[in-house]
Amino acid sequence: MPSDFPMKDPQEIWQNQPTEPLKMSASDLRRKALVRQSRARLEALSTIIIGIILCVVFAWSFARAHEMLARMGWGLLSLCGIYAAYHAYKWIWPQSLPEEAPISTCLEFYRRELERRRDYLHRWWRSGLPLFLLLGMVMAAVGTGARNAPPHPLLNALPFFLILAIWAVAFLLMRKKLGRENLQQEIEELRAFERERR
Amino acid sequence: MLFESYFTAEIGFNLLESSMASNYLKRAWAKTIPAGDVNQDSLYEQAADTYGSSLDRLARAYELDAEVRRDLVQEIHFQLWRSFAHFDHRCSLRTWVYRVAHNVATGHMIRQRRIRDRLVSIESIEAMPGNSDHGELAATQAEALDRLSMLIRRLKPLDRQIIVSYLEGMDASSIGEFTGLSPANIGMKVHRIKNILRRWFVEGGLHAK
Repeated sequence: MPSDFPMKDPQEIWQNQPTEPLKMSASDLRRKALVRQSRARLEALSTIIIGIILCVVFAWSFARAHEMLARMGWGLLSLCGIYAAYHAYKWIWPQSLPEEAPISTCLEFYRRELERRRDYLHRWWRSGLPLFLLLGMVMAAVGTGARNAPPHPLLNALPFFLILAIWAVAFLLMRKKLGRENLQQEIEELRAFERERR
Repeated sequence: MLFESYFTAEIGFNLLESSMASNYLKRAWAKTIPAGDVNQDSLYEQAADTYGSSLDRLARAYELDAEVRRDLVQEIHFQLWRSFAHFDHRCSLRTWVYRVAHNVATGHMIRQRRIRDRLVSIESIEAMPGNSDHGELAATQAEALDRLSMLIRRLKPLDRQIIVSYLEGMDASSIGEFTGLSPANIGMKVHRIKNILRRWFVEGGLHAK
């Protein structure tokens, strides 16, 4: 009988479910913190090392190249390697676990997480495309300068254009997938809630 | 997944421990780890004692898989302990605990890529027709709990936070304090939740038998 329904019932059902409360010891918590920190730093170290190796390899090519354009390309790529290492140091090294968790309200935290997810693809596109174009330029320039260069130096860059095409298709597929989730629409809704609160 | 990565880290840590440079590295790295003072520990202990069961229930609202849920509960406790280094008593301990716990659980949901079209809002569920999609009525407490959990896990994160807090017995102003939604909005959503629960557990539910 609906009229006899005590509204507390679902609350009682929920609150009376069997639970296994957890309590971690202080030493366990500190150990976990140390493990996290160690792992994050190892990850950052590996990225930094890869960045440095790339930088050295490109710098070596830079030193061997004779054409101005090729030298410029290799030099820029070498700088990209250094930038990748710096990026890893700056963003991965401290590996602070989400500091905003206790400070932000759930609404802000969720909105920011969605924005991060939305921006991830944009960043990928913005940072990856110039690097690919740079690589293509270098390959074409190296082809032009080589002694036994083919009549059409752009042919040297064919694998590059193939990779670029695959990359563009992958990007578009990922964007379509994200689009289905209507991230932007949800972000706007959350912003409206925040404005209402103010 | 979390367990695997933790396990890998554990092996790494043990290897590190056995290496000759371990003491130096541990000392150097430990400098950036929150020291964990007595106050932080005691706040965590107080929170775990008082809200341990609530946190376990909260994790159930976000994760169905028992194994993964255990990792999630551990993660919530760990982040809670970490967060108490910044606790400034500007809000109640309860608000702080729920805010951290829901944020960690929401982050978990996003990482597990559970934010999909299939998650709906309270409004959408309320607009669904009758109880035809629920089939038989819930006869036992366990069945009712399953149905309730299923309802919760269909909701988008914010609505999920509100329904869980409502079921935990929190009032609208307390829920607004940690979710960041306006009291009017919370009031409206709680009203809708009550309607849905009445429909799911009375008109087609527990007491109809």
